[in-house]
Amino acid sequence: MRRRLFTHATSAPRDGLDVGALAPMVDMMTLLLVFLLRTWSTESAPVPPSGSFELSTTTSTESRQHAVTILVSPEAIWVDGHRVIATPRIGADVLIREVYDPLLAQRGEQRVEIHADATVPWAVLKRVIATTEAAGLNEIALVGASAEGM
Amino acid sequence: MKRRRLYSAAPAAEADVRPTLLGVVTLLFLLLFFLLGTSSGQKLAVIGLHVGTADGLAPLPHAGLVKSLGVEIASTGAVTVRTVMQTTDISASATSTEQRVQPIPGRNGAVDRPALEAALAAVQKADPTQRKATVLPDDAVPTSALISVMDAVRGPNGTRFPEVTLQDLASAGAP
Repeated sequence: MRRRLFTHATSAPRDGLDVGALAPMVDMMTLLLVFLLRTWSTESAPVPPSGSFELSTTTSTESRQHAVTILVSPEAIWVDGHRVIATPRIGADVLIREVYDPLLAQRGEQRVEIHADATVPWAVLKRVIATTEAAGLNEIALVGASAEGM
Repeated sequence: MKRRRLYSAAPAAEADVRPTLLGVVTLLFLLLFFLLGTSSGQKLAVIGLHVGTADGLAPLPHAGLVKSLGVEIASTGAVTVRTVMQTTDISASATSTEQRVQPIPGRNGAVDRPALEAALAAVQKADPTQRKATVLPDDAVPTSALISVMDAVRGPNGTRFPEVTLQDLASAGAP
């Protein structure tokens, strides 16, 4: 009589998925969920409808608050989502009239957040800041991409 | 006479947890896709700016050793740390102020962040009570370099010089 080299295990394998195989999957999913909840943000970053736009990375941990949003890209400037002027058309004056008028209409607002592209030079940014001050918005903050994000 | 038991113990059957686990996995999958769809990997943070007083009044001089601190940024990535410090000559019993200038050359066209942080840490060590600093960028300095320098000046969690004032290098003299 021939002996079988490999005999079956004493307990017969169960049909379908084993519990032991599911447990690591649940662990992994939970870890992934916690990681995503920690690193991802539900606040939507304003981006221009066209052209390239990339915020500078910052180590600041201060979170955003309700504020008037000014977006400065190499192509144009937006105030609360409305395109007001093409960036290359900004003149030599410190005050940018096209930015000043919509800011002046924001009565009651004191805080403004400037989302400037990483490549925007100080020559443009200083005019935007000066215009914001002139319009009476005194709490000015620069926005960057947190280093804590993905 | 032998008594009959009304409730006999049923043979213990092993509970199958697989349906429960599958339900949990399915729920986590759905939650994962919901999170991926509604959130962004980019977390935003703000840096508060001090852009001078509206009435144009000069602030009172700081009482500590470091009277003022200015960080100038050139478009080449070079940074100059200007510190006005109070010095005391013990033998002459006289107090005077002197300006110390520390140039930090750029590295590959960018700001040498470790060298700048070391210089700022030395200034903070000289006077831990000073909380104000002025950043003076050149016209061609990009926002990325400006924010990098501001981060270095503020320090981790704003522990170095949290009150940063922006000033135009072209229109301002050395502090």
